[in-house]
Amino acid sequence: MLAIYKKELMQYFHSMIGFVFLAFFLVIVGIYTWAYNLAGGLGNFEMTLDSIYFLFVLLIPILTMRIVAEENHQKTNQLLYTAPVSVTRIILAKYFAVLTLFLIGVGVISFYPLLLCQYGSDVRLASAYSSIIGFFLFGAACIAIGVFISSLTESQVIAAVVSFIVLLMTFLMSNITGMLPTDALTQCMILAFVWLLVSFIAYNIMQNIVVMAAIAVLGELAIWIVYFAKASLYESLVTNILNVLAISTRFDEFSLGILHYDAIVYYVSISALFVFLTIQMIKRKRFS
Amino acid sequence: MIEVKNLVKRYGNHIAVNDLTFTVDTGKVVGFLGPNGAGKSTTMNMITGYIAQTEGTVLIDGIDMLEEPERAKEKIGYLPEIPPLYPDMRVREYLQFVADLRKVSKKERDLEIYEIMKKTKVLEVAERLIRHLSKGYKQRVGLSATMIGQPDILILDEPTVGLDPGQIIEIRELIRELSRDHTVLLSSHIMQEISAVCDEIIIINKGKMIACDTPENLTKRMLRNNGIKLQAKGERMQIDTALRNIPQITDIVYEKEEPEEGIVQMTVYTEKSEDVREAVFYAMAEISCPIMEMHTIDTTLEDAFLALTQGEAWQSDEPVTGQGREEDGEPVTGQEREEDGEPVTGQEREEDGEPEETDAGIAGTGKEDSQKEEVE
Repeated sequence: MLAIYKKELMQYFHSMIGFVFLAFFLVIVGIYTWAYNLAGGLGNFEMTLDSIYFLFVLLIPILTMRIVAEENHQKTNQLLYTAPVSVTRIILAKYFAVLTLFLIGVGVISFYPLLLCQYGSDVRLASAYSSIIGFFLFGAACIAIGVFISSLTESQVIAAVVSFIVLLMTFLMSNITGMLPTDALTQCMILAFVWLLVSFIAYNIMQNIVVMAAIAVLGELAIWIVYFAKASLYESLVTNILNVLAISTRFDEFSLGILHYDAIVYYVSISALFVFLTIQMIKRKRFS
Repeated sequence: MIEVKNLVKRYGNHIAVNDLTFTVDTGKVVGFLGPNGAGKSTTMNMITGYIAQTEGTVLIDGIDMLEEPERAKEKIGYLPEIPPLYPDMRVREYLQFVADLRKVSKKERDLEIYEIMKKTKVLEVAERLIRHLSKGYKQRVGLSATMIGQPDILILDEPTVGLDPGQIIEIRELIRELSRDHTVLLSSHIMQEISAVCDEIIIINKGKMIACDTPENLTKRMLRNNGIKLQAKGERMQIDTALRNIPQITDIVYEKEEPEEGIVQMTVYTEKSEDVREAVFYAMAEISCPIMEMHTIDTTLEDAFLALTQGEAWQSDEPVTGQGREEDGEPVTGQEREEDGEPVTGQEREEDGEPEETDAGIAGTGKEDSQKEEVE
């Protein structure tokens, strides 16, 4: 496990991606810090971080695109999967390697609040550091999503583009859900439509029309029966579900300086979930 | 020891490997032979645990690959068709990575890598980036990686593909050397390689095992392995009569085309282990037909391979292996061959080979039956 971890980190710096990532990351953070804190004379580092987390949409795909896709492409995964190491350890090692690289960047910026202290007494270190912790956890969750998407394909480009789109969608999710009508009928119709879509996708995977048609019809019936029995259940149901996916809204609390238990658990479980999904995906591929 | 039992791999409706069963005993070198797409790599990928089988079991020294993959994988060194190298690593770095991956202790690691690099002759490129290496060196680095951690079993998927003749010989030497203290399963579609190093050959085609035997036995079992190729100047009828007088000759097949004006070309078949060259010489001398060319035909493993995988007449007293030919009824390709009209074993049967005769041969009837392509 340590061998793969070391190899991944080394490869980041052999292939320049590591340097490019760190340079890009530090330049952007630097510009914002200069604009907000130095030029703007603001003591709140958490405000700076709050306005740059959108960077993840660009940076995380660069960081994660090659992590599994490149091995699939070069067939070096044959070396890893035939070595006496379990898939779980391989993926964990890879995930921690990406995380380490990200942590280097975060480590550098965690000196900034201390630097700001030299220039004024209005710097609140506690809220600055709680937002840095949140920033790291948020990044870790995004990286897990990126690793998962990278494991689905052989092409780095596809991995990068899909990760970009997925992250963008989750970032914009709170805006999208804000625009949805919250009345029961609309929400129920959305749900019914999504169920049809899910059944169709499942049919494409399983190729069994009878079972899938039965499941689709039963699901639709259930949805509409519940609607006629107790329509109030559906009020803003879909909106609430989608809001769970809005990964960036959880960061708001951190940037206000609140180290909230909920948000920490949320980010850690998103990370764990996607690392787990990656492992399962690779195991499943071996059987197909 | 590798034990493969009823191995099946299905991709949707396509069956890549169909009910393979074989055993590779400890210390043996076994060749895995088959045309492209026969399922060699798929089988090897299943043995090494890279992909999982649909049905069947793989036992490595009695350990089930699916149940205890980590213990089983420790015993195997695998060189896939494309060596799994990281182009942006240096050779030594790469080998160190593999050593760490295979849990070689830090103390022994560097010495072991040095020994292996010496053996595979990659010491002079140890500090170069893998990306800049030639194909031959890449292959050797890949081979070095399989030996790290001293696995008892080496599985090599087409180790000499894409190499120049000199390198092929070197790699073959190396494999022969390795075979002294390893169990080796080697795949290839190059015959000399297999016959040069292997104790036993498994031939598969379309995911099924066709034959499993020693190289000598495989060639021996081939149909029509005794005879001579002959070119003589004279009348065909005259030559025929003269040759028919030689009792050992069982069959004569003539080529339609004359290599030169007035020269008859033919293949003369004899009973097993009879040398008729002298008799032929005197017979030709008697009728004043000068012999322009005469040489014995060698049935090589190549012929055996082509014959088996393309369904040429196969002659053997007993079934080749347990499940080879009998199960799937008739082994197809008599017809296939007619369709693409492609010559199969030597060119000698090209023109006179009437389809019925060939089919009779395939169905496994006696030698005599299938060799009736006499001159009218």
